[in-house]
Amino acid sequence: MTSTDAQMESATRRSAADAQFMLAQRGAPSFWERFAQNRLALTSFVIILLLSLLAIGGPRFYQTDPNYQDYNAINAWPSATHPLGADSLGRDTLARIIKGLRVSLLVALYVELLNIGVGATLGLLAGYFGGWLDMLIARLADMLFAFPGLLFAILVAAIFGQPVTERFGGIGRLLLVAGSLALVSWPLMARYVRGQTLSLKRRDFITAARSVGARDRRLIWRHILPNVAGLIVVSATLDVAAVVVNEAVLSLLGLGIQPPDPSIGQMIRQAIDYLEANWGQVFFPSLALTIIVLSFSFLGDGLRDAFDPQRR
Amino acid sequence: MGRLIGRRLLSLIFVIFSITFLTFIVGYLAPGDPILVLMGPRRDPQVYNNLRHLYGLDQPWYQQYFNYVGGLLRGHLGISYRYQNRTVNDILGNGVWVSIQLGGTALLVSLLLGIPAGVFSALHQDSWLDRLNMALMLALFSIPSFVLIPILRAVNFFALYQHGLPSLPAAGWGQADNWVMPILVLAAANVGYIARLMRSSMLEVLSQDYMQTARAKGLTQRRTIYVHGLRNALLPVATVIGPALAFLVTGAFVVESLFAIPGIGFIGVQAIGQRDYPVIQGVTVLLAVAVVVMNLVTDMAYIFLDPRIGAEEGA
Repeated sequence: MTSTDAQMESATRRSAADAQFMLAQRGAPSFWERFAQNRLALTSFVIILLLSLLAIGGPRFYQTDPNYQDYNAINAWPSATHPLGADSLGRDTLARIIKGLRVSLLVALYVELLNIGVGATLGLLAGYFGGWLDMLIARLADMLFAFPGLLFAILVAAIFGQPVTERFGGIGRLLLVAGSLALVSWPLMARYVRGQTLSLKRRDFITAARSVGARDRRLIWRHILPNVAGLIVVSATLDVAAVVVNEAVLSLLGLGIQPPDPSIGQMIRQAIDYLEANWGQVFFPSLALTIIVLSFSFLGDGLRDAFDPQRR
Repeated sequence: MGRLIGRRLLSLIFVIFSITFLTFIVGYLAPGDPILVLMGPRRDPQVYNNLRHLYGLDQPWYQQYFNYVGGLLRGHLGISYRYQNRTVNDILGNGVWVSIQLGGTALLVSLLLGIPAGVFSALHQDSWLDRLNMALMLALFSIPSFVLIPILRAVNFFALYQHGLPSLPAAGWGQADNWVMPILVLAAANVGYIARLMRSSMLEVLSQDYMQTARAKGLTQRRTIYVHGLRNALLPVATVIGPALAFLVTGAFVVESLFAIPGIGFIGVQAIGQRDYPVIQGVTVLLAVAVVVMNLVTDMAYIFLDPRIGAEEGA
């Protein structure tokens, strides 16, 4: 690129930024302003940040071993030594929830990385290029859609579970759980992104960009991607709520993180057997799960409204 | 209409191929030698080869897949890895019937509760009753079954049992009172889902011109709503059967294993613990194909009930 070209491009970019700035000055609220106006979404965002901090830094401040069995505290209610009580084996519930939270959030993170990396990418390519590529990706997604609900994730986690754990240990298991849940999530993400890309492709600004000589790569990166980014972020955020519940279901069926390491689904499963002795042990992990699911749902809704103000 | 049905049948073949192929290939790709696991500490090469041959594992993958599908067509789901002398059909046995009873009853209950709840909300649109009802339905739809189960059980124990009132058993199968809690849990999500759909469908019908015509003709309010309104509003509900069945399938695993109900979900979870791949595959294929066939049947019913659909698609 020659220096004049570069100058021109930076000038265009500056003028575009200026226009946006002026628009903001004139009172059309920016993305962040729109997002910040939504109290519920903002609160959810803060809660998610706090939960993540708790999952990352929690074990450093709250140093109780989540697998230590205190035989004096079997099915104990909250006390000074055990702020949220202890489970049927006398293990500290707060420490286990912190550890379980880490599992839930990590699995959700991996699933969404796969969901965006595979689902959004394939959807974008299918929508943009069409033809046989579109056919192939659509058929692949249809094959996975043939399985109702979590069935395929259950099958994959069930058959690969033990061999993967034997070979790669706990982290392998975590990745397997994320991978099998992503198998259920990505076809939907691909379908959304494909639809959006298809409708963008027919818009005038794409034709205009193409007519001034923009290549596919540039069209995708500079024109299509910024316009589907909102959709991708919103669907990934909303999907987290589903993934957290699904991870709990897999753990509940013995397909998730293996004991003695805690996960929220497993804690609920174990505590249900002792419900009559201490319902608090079901209540606290369920509450943690509810808070995560609701926060991500509200955050997703808030982001959708902020990205697309006309929708309201 | 004929062409539409033809296309549906063609896609049915593709879907059933997908289900059997993916299920087969996951088992085929599983690391580890199931025959070695089966034989345990014994290491007799003769026995090993015989067993490999018995399970057909000495053949190339496409031949194995061909055999698998051939077996399925004849109604054989394979032989258990865990119990050499038992077929998967034998292990699933009564479980299939138990799951059909459980799932069918739950679906029926969710229609019987969801439809009136949705109609009620639509007739009281935007009143506090409507808002309350819809909030409740949203809660039913979004609370996961494994959270609903302890809530129901806690209410049952602390509010009924401890006060000597008649209460429900916490788990098990066989008696009539065993049915109540699992079916309520399994139906809950679908009740919420169907009610919300029914409300919007009913609202749309109520705003149609023919409703006004019916009223103008002098029909009573009751007759207008229930004969002209409800019948038309019910049509779209046929389309919920698909998603509703998907909820039921995942729900069946959780509900059957938490209530110790010997359905195929429960058997599947046990097989997971025992690494009995053919049983897990059998459960997967059965559930997936059942849902696909049910979907096809409702789609067909829908086409016959509403001839506009066949016409719209240009068939």
